[in-house]
Amino acid sequence: MENLLNELKAKIVAVLNLTDVDPEAIKEDEQLIGGNLDIDSIDVLEMVIMIEKDYGVKIDNRELGAKVFSTLRTLAEYIDENSRESTL
Amino acid sequence: MTVLRAYISGMGIISALGTGISETADALQKERRGLRSLTLFPVASARPLPVGEIPGSLEPAEVPRTHQLAQIAGDQAMAGSRQPPDAVVMGVTTGGMLTTETSLKLKSQTPELLSYHGIGTVAEYIAGRYRCKGPVVTVSTACSSGTVAVKIALELLRAGLARRVLAGGVDSLCRLTYYGFNSLQLIDPDGARPLDQSRRGMSVAEGAAMLLVADRPGGATAEILGAGLSCDAYHPTAPHPRGKGALAAMQAAIEDAKISITDIDYVNLHGTGTRDNDLSEAEAINALFPHQKPRLSSVKGAFGHALAAAGAMEAVVAAISVSRHLVPATAGCRSPDPDLNLKPELKPRDQTVDCVLSNSFGFGGNNAALIVTGPDRFKPSSSPTRTRPLGILGYACITGAGDTESTLHHVSEGKACRGLLPLEKISENIPPRAVRRLKRLPRLTLSLALAAHQNSGRTESPNAVFMGTGWGAQSETYDFLTGLFESEERFPSPTDFVGSVHNAPAGQVALQFRCTGANITTSGGDYSFEQALMTAQLLAKDIDDSFFLIGADESHAVLSNMFDPSVSASTTLSDGGAAFCLKQADPGAPLTIRLNFFENAQQNTDVIASLTRRLGGPEKINSAYGALLIGIPGCRRTEGEKQLAAFLSRSGFENPVIDYRKIIGEFASASAAAAAMAAGFLLKGKLPLPLDNDRGRQLNPPGVLVVGLGKYVTAMEILAN
Repeated sequence: MENLLNELKAKIVAVLNLTDVDPEAIKEDEQLIGGNLDIDSIDVLEMVIMIEKDYGVKIDNRELGAKVFSTLRTLAEYIDENSRESTL
Repeated sequence: MTVLRAYISGMGIISALGTGISETADALQKERRGLRSLTLFPVASARPLPVGEIPGSLEPAEVPRTHQLAQIAGDQAMAGSRQPPDAVVMGVTTGGMLTTETSLKLKSQTPELLSYHGIGTVAEYIAGRYRCKGPVVTVSTACSSGTVAVKIALELLRAGLARRVLAGGVDSLCRLTYYGFNSLQLIDPDGARPLDQSRRGMSVAEGAAMLLVADRPGGATAEILGAGLSCDAYHPTAPHPRGKGALAAMQAAIEDAKISITDIDYVNLHGTGTRDNDLSEAEAINALFPHQKPRLSSVKGAFGHALAAAGAMEAVVAAISVSRHLVPATAGCRSPDPDLNLKPELKPRDQTVDCVLSNSFGFGGNNAALIVTGPDRFKPSSSPTRTRPLGILGYACITGAGDTESTLHHVSEGKACRGLLPLEKISENIPPRAVRRLKRLPRLTLSLALAAHQNSGRTESPNAVFMGTGWGAQSETYDFLTGLFESEERFPSPTDFVGSVHNAPAGQVALQFRCTGANITTSGGDYSFEQALMTAQLLAKDIDDSFFLIGADESHAVLSNMFDPSVSASTTLSDGGAAFCLKQADPGAPLTIRLNFFENAQQNTDVIASLTRRLGGPEKINSAYGALLIGIPGCRRTEGEKQLAAFLSRSGFENPVIDYRKIIGEFASASAAAAAMAAGFLLKGKLPLPLDNDRGRQLNPPGVLVVGLGKYVTAMEILAN
């Protein structure tokens, strides 16, 4: 899980072009959308694409997205759970 | 006092519900829905999404589908009309995109069809078909485009610049919008169910609607009484959650029409069926009508959402409503969402309708509302107005040489300013967080706006934005489509889709400066900036504060060569543009700018005589302008040089004549940069030595005329006060 969290931090910075953010400074349990990183609904959708591409996990509606993208940890947990399921 | 009315004296429509007014009215009466699974182009998914698609193939085959749709609606609107329209104004968002996508996907180039890629080519095609010699304007404010086009038509009539305007909107289905809206998770897989409790989004559609708006009744079925515009300045795609901008647009329309809210019998909602739109619009409706609400419905569950065509199609629905006394149903809505606190009509209703308010809202928070009434049923709302010169408070340009100062310095040293400024250089004055999602065109635009505002020395934020761009955001468009095709249509980028719409850069300016007034993007190839200036002049009477006028284009390594024949014929890629901070009648402004002339040069042998006449004849021309800046797009060199020779011979112009594209290069909004250079020369009081044969004379008289030649002939003057 720790690895996945760190991997996601780097990917978020890269995908959302957060040039002024140090990936390590992203806190796992802080609000992800509308928090310090200025992440909004368009960024969430861009992350949805990245997660489907890189982890094969679909987040295909806004209601689910709102829950999954609550914090970095909820996102990592969702990916962890669903990518494992899909490989079984 | 003289009064003026704007009658709808001809109408045409084609949509998934049918062709023509009767078929459409009948479909609305019978509650037909036009949504079916997409068949127009193959998609990877086994279950294509429901869309509002027009069945069957269309004619003529030599133009893209959007142009075909516009022609079908246009022919209906112009039926029985022998005279050409004085002007054409159209709302378009994707132009020849469907054809371009096929070329990109198959990596085959069909140059004759790619020449119709530009969104401005639809209005040009329509103008050619009906022999319109006057101005041709294309509005691209996403899903409010069709309504904004009708507003501009109304203002052309009010300003006395036209007596008959053919106005409307059109869009065909294409991959960009089909996959783009889906990437934003805004599509209802079961088809749009506006205002329903279980709604999940919109359905993308296609269609066209055209209105012949005239100052004489001539069998008119309806009248345009007023229209209002606003911008949310809140988010690139999401509407303001409390419907602030939607409310402002509706209030502006009511004020413009000089009616009261109790006059409104029916509100045709924007009602897309997305959760956010319907909630936000409901907030605005509840605020506007705190007590009794008029009848309400959305027709997007029947037509689908035909984007730039939607506003024009719904203007036709409003005209059907007042002429046939019909309130259409909210097709697709079964149990209205209680959170909306609205009672939408669930069944078509026969009742007398005198006055309709029709809403259209688009990406970039671009809102428009229209008041359509039965002919002569209300007091006239309009009296003739005159457009006035606009005071220049601040200006800035970007060319291959750099910013304003570098550009003027290069020119003074006799060096060309062609080329491309590096992206980092363009973004220098923009806060990093503001640029992280922006590619080249929005960065150029934002950088220009920030520099022009700084140059004005004013602290207050401008209120409105008028922007012209020949090609829009090409980097985002290219990246979206190549990403789509490379991933076998699985991973289109939502960020690129949002950035690809023509009005996205102007939306960024509105966000940065909180500009909540009108926000209009125009696009007509090499004459896009002039279209924006015309629009600004028409609307400035209603703007108390300062506002932005911007012209910008980006050069794209692949697309610019494909689309712009002037670029493919040149040796150096160039781009840039200019921004102006303007205010009507500001005594502190050192300069003024005004568009004096805009005519279609095709099928118009008298165009140069007409230009000379409009400028007041040879004596006036020589006593007003110390220099001419001439813009001849590379692909129109021969034609343009002939026009120039004719103008110089007719006007006997004796002061310096500068062929500015030879200095700043070939890009669609080069005329914006030329206007900024003219402002720079006038503030210094003289032309740079190399442009004056090293004579160093005063710029006397203190005025510069920037003339556009080629397919259109335009003239804008910049004068020192």
